[in-house]
Amino acid sequence: MSKSGSTSKITRRTALAGLSAGAALLAMPRIGRAADETIRIGFPTPLTGPFAAEARDQVKCAELAVKLVNDKGGIGGRKVELLVRDDKLNAGEAATRTLELIEKDKVHAVVGALSSAVQLAVNEVTRARGVIYVSISQSDTINEAKDFSKYTFHEALNPHMTTAAVARQTLKKGMKVAHLVADYAYGHEMLRGFKRAQAAIGADNVGEILHPFGAADYSTFMPRLMSLRPDVLCISNFGRDQANAIKQAVDFGVKQQMKIVVPVILHNQRLAVGPDVFEGVVGGANYYWGLESQSKSAAAFNAAFKAANGGAIPTDYGAYGYSGVGSLLAAMQTAGGTDTDKVVDALEKLQYDLTKGPQHYRKCDHQSVQSVLVLESKKKSAMAGDNDLFAILANDTGSDDMLRSCSELGHAT
Amino acid sequence: MTHPSSGEALAKPAPGGLGRLLDHRVLLSIAVLAILPWLLPSKALAVNVLIYGVVVMGYNLLFGYTGLLSFGQAAFFGAGAYFTGIAIGRYGVPWFAAVAIAVFLSTCLAAVIGIISTRTRGIYFSMVTLALAQLVYYVALQASSFTGGENGLRGFTVDRINLFGLQVNFLDPVNKYYVLMAFAALAMWFQSRILNSPFGAVIEAIRENEQRARACGYDVERSKLVVFMLSGATSSLGGCMLALHLSIVPLDILHYQTSGMIVMMVLLGGARSFFGPFVGAASFLILEDVISLWTPHWQIFVGAIFVLFVLFLPKGIWGTLLDTLGIGKARR
Repeated sequence: MSKSGSTSKITRRTALAGLSAGAALLAMPRIGRAADETIRIGFPTPLTGPFAAEARDQVKCAELAVKLVNDKGGIGGRKVELLVRDDKLNAGEAATRTLELIEKDKVHAVVGALSSAVQLAVNEVTRARGVIYVSISQSDTINEAKDFSKYTFHEALNPHMTTAAVARQTLKKGMKVAHLVADYAYGHEMLRGFKRAQAAIGADNVGEILHPFGAADYSTFMPRLMSLRPDVLCISNFGRDQANAIKQAVDFGVKQQMKIVVPVILHNQRLAVGPDVFEGVVGGANYYWGLESQSKSAAAFNAAFKAANGGAIPTDYGAYGYSGVGSLLAAMQTAGGTDTDKVVDALEKLQYDLTKGPQHYRKCDHQSVQSVLVLESKKKSAMAGDNDLFAILANDTGSDDMLRSCSELGHAT
Repeated sequence: MTHPSSGEALAKPAPGGLGRLLDHRVLLSIAVLAILPWLLPSKALAVNVLIYGVVVMGYNLLFGYTGLLSFGQAAFFGAGAYFTGIAIGRYGVPWFAAVAIAVFLSTCLAAVIGIISTRTRGIYFSMVTLALAQLVYYVALQASSFTGGENGLRGFTVDRINLFGLQVNFLDPVNKYYVLMAFAALAMWFQSRILNSPFGAVIEAIRENEQRARACGYDVERSKLVVFMLSGATSSLGGCMLALHLSIVPLDILHYQTSGMIVMMVLLGGARSFFGPFVGAASFLILEDVISLWTPHWQIFVGAIFVLFVLFLPKGIWGTLLDTLGIGKARR
């Protein structure tokens, strides 16, 4: 409590000094900004939580994309800087971090986020403020008219195209299919994609079981799935959940009865549990390093990543970090700077080939049209080395036909 | 409850003098909040301090002043946010009306949960509030056509607001901060008013000795229910502010981890102190913000600091500071 009369202690001189100090403090960011020419890219990603392994790969690859551009002298003489922030796999945290990146760090664009809910949160913040956002995590929702804006770009595959490619390789007419699905947006969208593909192929659905996100114990689901007697079991979950679910399915002898199929087969999870568990599991992927025998751009990307990371090889989700940031920087090169409208225009016209072959963003929904790989996990005796994880079953060339039509997504055509 | 023998209080008749002192408690808090955005590393962080400060202040009424340890405060925080978002996005209600509707509906929810939970005591009260809050979580998860389910609620961005005929750009972080600060100020004035009313004395009496309060003739059950509703209403206002601030409502807001975080914040800042909740919210959020920039293992550090506080500073940062300065009894 201030005692009466204490206010008179503040003399005019002190007040003036305080005021000018305050004014100087306020003016500082403005002065700083004028001299600053660096291009800043915000990169929110879940460095902590169940997707941390994938997130760390994304950061490494995004940093590589930035480094390669800076080594060549940057964009129009301006250096590029990547601002990585931990979004903790939490939509609210991601929205706050993105606000900070835009308001305080004055980023020119945002790339990143891993998980459906988190990328939609980031997208909501960036589109309201007219900041370009390149999402690098699978989602069908972000392309739909309700969440789309001209600033929204989606570099990752989406559940619709991934499941269609996997189903084409693994399902045949009359087959019985059962599903084990993580009970959140990613799982639901993958299930919807599989069911659509199944219907087109003529395979029968014999049952769906939902499991909670982040579950450690799948033992109660396995007997139920086996009693459905399917030919194929589709396990639609992500990160550590995938490794845990497949491991326990194998323990129950599921593989003797049916084939295990996943929408996205994860490099890191396969590494985490070893070849015997994953042997024969089939799944989709955006990238696999072994593509280098077929693709020059994959060979170049692998070589650059190895050089920057002590001989390590890039992973599937890591490649998104590279192509997401890389495509944005390529568009900024074309646009000659960071003017948002010019960069959006350049992205829409961009034809890029950074990791695996030609890609472009479709005009109506800014979904990246790209190839989808279908991989099968090799058995131990067939592996040529520690990194020889998968055999490439198919490499479907990207085309607009793979995607849901613009009108189905609610866009004016 | 505050009887400092300062000159001002004695100079005037009791009610007037007391009223002036109360003004100071709220005004001092507002003065600190007014300069907060210029002290913290970012405006977004400052707005979060405001929001969580209001939520924790509501919780402090229940936990700090009445002694009811609830593990379900996230239900009201989330309800405020969801009702605001749905009212604006789905029904096109103006933002200010949406906040009023959201607080009203959340208070009704608090009444329902309060009627069920305040019948129990101690650990049973904590468990019942936790269970009912989880019920709210699963309702929000399943009613995805209203709430957006797992993906969270989106599509209600408030970018311009009309303040008494003045068009204000609400996307500007400074404007947003001061508009939301007005809500926080309102909540503080309201809380201060309650604490200094006879009702405020009754709830503290319940905390100190429930049997004796009952023996004195106070209606303990009804007082508990009313304080539960007031606490829910205040926390739901924090939820409304969050919805306006982030323009999304994440499903995690209803998760029990949010309830746990609210408990942590009030213990960190100091339960039973008027400004403690804001100190707790600020310290927790700053710790999280700053340490997570240095290391992905920030949780280890936050956890260790929390353990140290529980062991050595049970009154929290603000409570200990006031004690040290010798104004602990004034509790402001």
